[in-house]
Amino acid sequence: MPRWITTAAAITALGAIAPAVQAEPLKIAIIESLSGPQTSTGRLIATAAEYVIDQANTNGGFNGEPIQVKEYDNAGDTSGAATKFREAAADGAHVIIQGASSAIGGQVTEDVRKHNIRNPDNPIIYINVGAEAMELRGKKCHFHAFHFTTTAPYRTVPLMQVMSEQGDLGKRVYSINQNYSWGRDMETAIVDNADRFDYQVVDKVLHEVNRIQDFSPFVARIKSENPDSVITGNWSNDLLLLMKAVGDANLDITFGTIFMDQPGNVANAGDVAEGHYVAHSSNIELLDEAGPEAYKKATGHYPVFIEPTTLNGVGLFAEALKQVNFDGGDINVNEIALAMENTTFDNGLGGMHVRKADHQAVIPIVVSQVASGVKYPVDGTELGFKPIKTVAGEDAIYPAQDSCRMRRPK
Amino acid sequence: MEFLIVSTLNGVIYGMLLFMVSAGLTLIFGMMGVLNFAHASFYMLGAYFAYTLSGLFNFWVGLIVAPLLVAIIGMFIERYMLRRVHAHGHAHELLLTFGLVFIFEELIKLFYGDFPVNYQRPDYLNFAIFNLFGTDYPFYRVFIGLVALLMFIVLFVLLTRTRVGMVVRAAERLPDTARALGHNVPMVFLGVFGAGAALAGLSGAVAGAFFPTNPNMALELGVIVFVVVVVGGLGSLAGSLIASLLIGVFSSFAVGLDWSLASLFGLIGLGDWANSLGGLVTMPLSSISATVPFLLMLIVLLVRPAGLMGSKN
Repeated sequence: MPRWITTAAAITALGAIAPAVQAEPLKIAIIESLSGPQTSTGRLIATAAEYVIDQANTNGGFNGEPIQVKEYDNAGDTSGAATKFREAAADGAHVIIQGASSAIGGQVTEDVRKHNIRNPDNPIIYINVGAEAMELRGKKCHFHAFHFTTTAPYRTVPLMQVMSEQGDLGKRVYSINQNYSWGRDMETAIVDNADRFDYQVVDKVLHEVNRIQDFSPFVARIKSENPDSVITGNWSNDLLLLMKAVGDANLDITFGTIFMDQPGNVANAGDVAEGHYVAHSSNIELLDEAGPEAYKKATGHYPVFIEPTTLNGVGLFAEALKQVNFDGGDINVNEIALAMENTTFDNGLGGMHVRKADHQAVIPIVVSQVASGVKYPVDGTELGFKPIKTVAGEDAIYPAQDSCRMRRPK
Repeated sequence: MEFLIVSTLNGVIYGMLLFMVSAGLTLIFGMMGVLNFAHASFYMLGAYFAYTLSGLFNFWVGLIVAPLLVAIIGMFIERYMLRRVHAHGHAHELLLTFGLVFIFEELIKLFYGDFPVNYQRPDYLNFAIFNLFGTDYPFYRVFIGLVALLMFIVLFVLLTRTRVGMVVRAAERLPDTARALGHNVPMVFLGVFGAGAALAGLSGAVAGAFFPTNPNMALELGVIVFVVVVVGGLGSLAGSLIASLLIGVFSSFAVGLDWSLASLFGLIGLGDWANSLGGLVTMPLSSISATVPFLLMLIVLLVRPAGLMGSKN
């Protein structure tokens, strides 16, 4: 009744074809790599993000309207992302979700920052669910960027802590990583923690990203140093080919990895993968069955790889939405961002929240080992990820970087 | 010594794989003048077809039938697409094959998904053939090398020693004369394109079981096979072989050598100064080993613009 009155009043006031007064719907843009070589990651992020939004919509949406989601394909490069960002901004997006590639993340977060300087009344929030570069939380940090994934030191420290507790780290550690921001962050983290976990970095190699077909020359180099373990931040082919090459040479080396849980890795590496470690932000073995089952029903598969991170990140965002109320009026993005700072979200392993200093999410890290006899075997094999230990977010997280100078809205 | 032998062996085998993929490309270019950007896509198709067939039948059926399927696709593309745009010149052929790369990539993702598929060699091929300084050397690597060697011999004999080869070369050099002598020149081109595609398909079927079969495999190898063909000399089979081996061995050695510009300065006593500069000067060769082929290409193009064995030197 009251709305009818306002509508009637508005029509009378304008005396013409005034639009019916409608609540402003919340618009979310997923700017992801949905074609090109990074599709495997981009598609998973989009699937998981849409799953959370769908759930929020079945529970009544936001601001009296269903939340609108739109996918934008950045085709896997920064110029594509920049174009799609302009498109999304023109479409009136309030929130941008992105994750595959730190390079694209850097582009998106800068575009968001500039947009928000120019349009202080219509800011946009950037939800980063996969870009792990330290720089995004350092020099490039800003109030409207939220980082729900980890960084190199954030995962490396728990990984090596658990490997060392299990006696699999050894004294001689080999560092092999990809030659760009992520791989360099990894190498720094590996070198920096040598004293803490009492090992020696016998050799460190940076190689090109996803260009190398034949890793046997690297294996020859690894072998000559006779390491106990290899720590690597490699992902995709670079991890798979490296593991296979080491397996083919029959070297007895334990791998500590960050991205072992990428689909296809365990099946392709076969028995070679068994016993290797991975540090990830969640493990479905530890979760209540209902969540993964519901996810499988909606999407056709259990949450894997980057999906749990996305579910948790966008989940916290959805939780924050419950704490703001615009009564069907205009959406105030800054209020949503402030609510995100004050929201605690239960991700099934414990509470997660966002650190105010640099908007890095504080999430627990699970260190798992590839083993048989698990509840959720992967890739059609008998192997899966057996959780060894969960390290609390507060113990794993790196200190906020001094380079982050965040200007908060007044 | 160990470094020398292991690196040479690794490099030679990788080179043979590169040759296997680029042989079809150089054949198609040399005989038809078509620069086929989609060649590495044929390589990927071969791997995926072999994966499906090896699941339905067995590994060997996949190895034999997959190249045939790829050949059929190749011939279809030649007959109904390339031939149509041929009249408009090379640029159109180039653009057409360039577009096909993206279409094949997305089609593969549609049918097989975004992730690597589990295409494995059979267990009885999965053994170490010898032990080299304490490291097992997988038999399958040698197998890849042998298949490539066999491919080179068969192609070489076919093109230079048989009547079929004579007709093909005639159709390429003097198409009008060949036609006047009663040879069906379009048919010859169709066959050459199909054979080139089949060679890529075969290398995909062989190599896909060793390297992961994934939707990016065409992209990963696409550029490097062009480098091979350019370095070897467009259209020269022997040139491709030499170029592949050079690239394989150079890349392999580059990984083991931690040379940088700074160490070069070190020879004349400026090492400390160079190290203090950092950046590109201290970048070790191993970090840029994948650029070695391009460096080689640059040098070859400067010295011998038509490639090592190119006919127009």
